[in-house]
Amino acid sequence: MYYYTNTLNRMFDDVDPRSPIPLYDQIASRIRLAVAAGDIAEGAALPSVRQLAARLRINPATVVQAYRVLEGEGFVEMRQGSGTYARGVGADRRKRTQEDQAARLARGLLDEAARLGIRGEDVVHAMRRELGAGEG
Amino acid sequence: MSYAIETSGLHYRAGKAFELGDLNLRVPTGSIYGFLGPNGSGKTTTIRLCLGLLRAARGTVHVLGHTIPGDTPRMFARVGYVPERPHLYPTLTVRETLAFHGAFHPRWDRAAAAELLRSFALEPETRINRLSKGESGKLLMLMALAQRPDLLVLDEPTDGLDPVVRRDVLMAVIDFVSESGATVFVSSHLIHELERICDWVGVMDRGRLVADVPMHSFKNGIKRLRIRNAPAQVGDAPFVLLARERGDGASGTEVWVVRGWQPTMYQYFEGIGAVLQDVVDLDLEEGFVELLRTARTPRGA
Amino acid sequence: MFAAVCRVQWKASFTAVVLLAVAGFTVPLLAVQRAGFSVGDRRAWDLVNMLTSVETTGTLFPVLAVIVGLALAVSAWSADHQGDHVYALTLPVPRWYYVLLRFGAGALLVVPITAAVGLGCALAIGSLDLPVGLRTYAMAVTLRFTLAALVGYALMFALAAGSKRTSAMVLGGVAVMLALTEVLAAAGLGLLVDLLVGRLGPFEIFAGPWTLIGV
Repeated sequence: MYYYTNTLNRMFDDVDPRSPIPLYDQIASRIRLAVAAGDIAEGAALPSVRQLAARLRINPATVVQAYRVLEGEGFVEMRQGSGTYARGVGADRRKRTQEDQAARLARGLLDEAARLGIRGEDVVHAMRRELGAGEG
Repeated sequence: MSYAIETSGLHYRAGKAFELGDLNLRVPTGSIYGFLGPNGSGKTTTIRLCLGLLRAARGTVHVLGHTIPGDTPRMFARVGYVPERPHLYPTLTVRETLAFHGAFHPRWDRAAAAELLRSFALEPETRINRLSKGESGKLLMLMALAQRPDLLVLDEPTDGLDPVVRRDVLMAVIDFVSESGATVFVSSHLIHELERICDWVGVMDRGRLVADVPMHSFKNGIKRLRIRNAPAQVGDAPFVLLARERGDGASGTEVWVVRGWQPTMYQYFEGIGAVLQDVVDLDLEEGFVELLRTARTPRGA
Repeated sequence: MFAAVCRVQWKASFTAVVLLAVAGFTVPLLAVQRAGFSVGDRRAWDLVNMLTSVETTGTLFPVLAVIVGLALAVSAWSADHQGDHVYALTLPVPRWYYVLLRFGAGALLVVPITAAVGLGCALAIGSLDLPVGLRTYAMAVTLRFTLAALVGYALMFALAAGSKRTSAMVLGGVAVMLALTEVLAAAGLGLLVDLLVGRLGPFEIFAGPWTLIGV
């Protein structure tokens, strides 16, 4: 349980208040991925609102918002007086989540490439080379 | 929406130079409201007016539904105030100060006071005039929190404190808000600190409230655009152009600071034959600086 | 709340109260002693000498009463003054109520001092073997002292409670008034002075009599 709490806390270390991505979204997406990847087991307790807000020095309402979003999506369950717990996600849900995240990464990468004046196709070529090198 | 603090048409004058004009401040109940502004913009004066420590020339003030100045004592039973400068009795010890303060506040929580005393590592027998700046900052926060207020009014609570103490103080505030849902009204220079915890922002400049919006709309509202082939005249833009400057190096590149940007507005640039190269998000501090810069210079200058 | 204010007031006034209590205890003993008697001395004495000395030393009482009033009033407000009264103005009680608490706490501190005076008076008189025909006024003097101290305290308290500017104005006004009475008296208008000062109600209490022993 203690080990879990440590990893759970550390995964929010790079949350950036200055980023245009709202804080609740940054928190929610980290948890979403972790649950989808199985890093957080089904039924595991997430940090309490109070704990996480205090640790990250952010508004508790932000944490509540993140947890509510995740609850709406079916990733967590908020139990009155008890805390927030991860729910099990089915294989296709897991796949969809990871696909969504991959799409986000791709979009970000392509945006940055455009800023630097690099064409999209060149990025794709480079990507293929990198993947090939990894397998080889 | 109910408001923990609500002023209407507030006017105040101090001498010839300083004037607070037509202030309509609205702090939503349950929010953490960040009050920003450069030195001398009137933040402390506004706070003092809201707490009945100063009398306005015109206008109304309501705090937690109480009319100020009429109902000030009853308001203070529900409001925890941390002033800019410590106002404690210098010869009392920490313990005596807490005993005195607790005797006057109906909701004083002795257990919470003792707990905070421990976690802030304050020595109860130390005299107030022997406390370091950090220690008196912590003590003032302790006193405000142990009152179990419905509203916390913090005037530069972490000013002059080292980072470790700042963290301790902020965590205590967040902890309290988590369990009580109290409203927090905090004025500070330390914008990055406010950026983490505030969900509403109010900006003061030279006695006037120039912005009073949710945090996300303040931050997302202002962007920096890099434009190539920018037209000489800008008419009929879907956004508000706050400033434009020559970009660095590359010819014909300009940097525009705009408000009210939406991603679909890139079409506007295509329409005028310009190229939108980049859209940069400004963090709270940059947004704040840009807002002030444009609040002070006339449009088009 | 009153208990809390009392505790704080006691801390601020402690030294003054102790010193003034000692002084208050000493004055009556001094009055008797200067007549040529030490406590417990039962020799024959000179009546006139004794009565004169009691009367002259008796003038120390009103002076002490004023000092007591001043000391207690100043220490009642010193803590608030240092913070420009901001702290008290942020307490959840009306201003007048807070002022009343402070006043009451200070007034309470008059008690130990006047108790010391009473004790001194009782001791001074009790140690003497007075002839028939002389009366002692230990109780009267102590009571008068208490009232004088409270009147002095009330006046000084009102001065000390105000802002520094008002206090300066009031004190300045009093100084002007005193100077004026001196001028008038010197100009031969003593009767007028008598009327003015004499009619100043509560201040009459300072006029006396302050004699412990009399006829």
